[in-house]
Amino acid sequence: MYDHQTRSLWSHITGEAIQGPLTGMQLKPLASMPQIAWNTWQLNYPETQVLSVPTRDGMREGINQDVYADYHASQRAGVSGMEYTDNRLPNKSLVIGVQVPAKHGNTQFRAYPLTHFTETAVINDTPNDMPLLIFHDKKSFATAVFNRNVAGDARTFSHQDRHFVEDNTGTRWNLVTGEAVSGKDEGARLERLPAINIYWFAWARYHPETSIYR
Amino acid sequence: MKNYMLILILLLATISCASAEDYEDYSDDEIRTLLPFDAIPAITDPQFVSAGAAKLDVDTPVIGVTFNGESHAYSVYLLNGHEIVNDVVGGMNIATTW
Repeated sequence: MYDHQTRSLWSHITGEAIQGPLTGMQLKPLASMPQIAWNTWQLNYPETQVLSVPTRDGMREGINQDVYADYHASQRAGVSGMEYTDNRLPNKSLVIGVQVPAKHGNTQFRAYPLTHFTETAVINDTPNDMPLLIFHDKKSFATAVFNRNVAGDARTFSHQDRHFVEDNTGTRWNLVTGEAVSGKDEGARLERLPAINIYWFAWARYHPETSIYR
Repeated sequence: MKNYMLILILLLATISCASAEDYEDYSDDEIRTLLPFDAIPAITDPQFVSAGAAKLDVDTPVIGVTFNGESHAYSVYLLNGHEIVNDVVGGMNIATTW
């Protein structure tokens, strides 16, 4: 990416300016749902606004075709001529990439392969002494990473149905919104952390020191 | 994430329209320039419709963001041709990138 004001170049993966007057500056990564089925998003955020773009055929909110469908279905990886040699996972494996907040010492990077989410939608993990909840629903492709701390306690979550999960206090949570929908903490909200769905080769290239959840 | 070689191939028509003065070669040992600036036009003045007015298939993948009670959704397939939306959501200046 470049910015219009200084024409510095920025990495869209790390948010860091890598060339030009602003080199070394860092954009703050923000939390999003990186790829979620429209009906699941709309159900949870009915007041949502939807991007609409002018085209030859008028304003459109979407197109029915993914121009990268062949690429996604193929084994091709990366820019021509580049080699990706971190063979800990196949290049085109999809992972959830997480920058683990630095509680003690350095920020860490951790990859959660989507293959872990075939039987369950939640992983309770504690990298860097940070209690994290990793959520991925294979049907809606909803992905979210939350801090497991609720009112000072690290909760443990187990999978119930789709995007609803229960913690060890019996509180039931909607993990699309991060909100407790019943139980003693009803109305509480989990802290959502930045996360991306990304191919392994790209994540490993930008963060070679990354660990992998096994 | 996407493959920039593919972007090159898919957007050849766009590239051929970009004027020469827009082209800045930032290539060095670590960075290779593959496309001129704005060959993939970012969205700088986004427009929105309500959820009810949006014509999207139920299973269309979107990027969803919500800040301070305001939520925006962006079709991923639509963002293939733009890659960046400069937006304001809940009072926050954000760049949604794909």
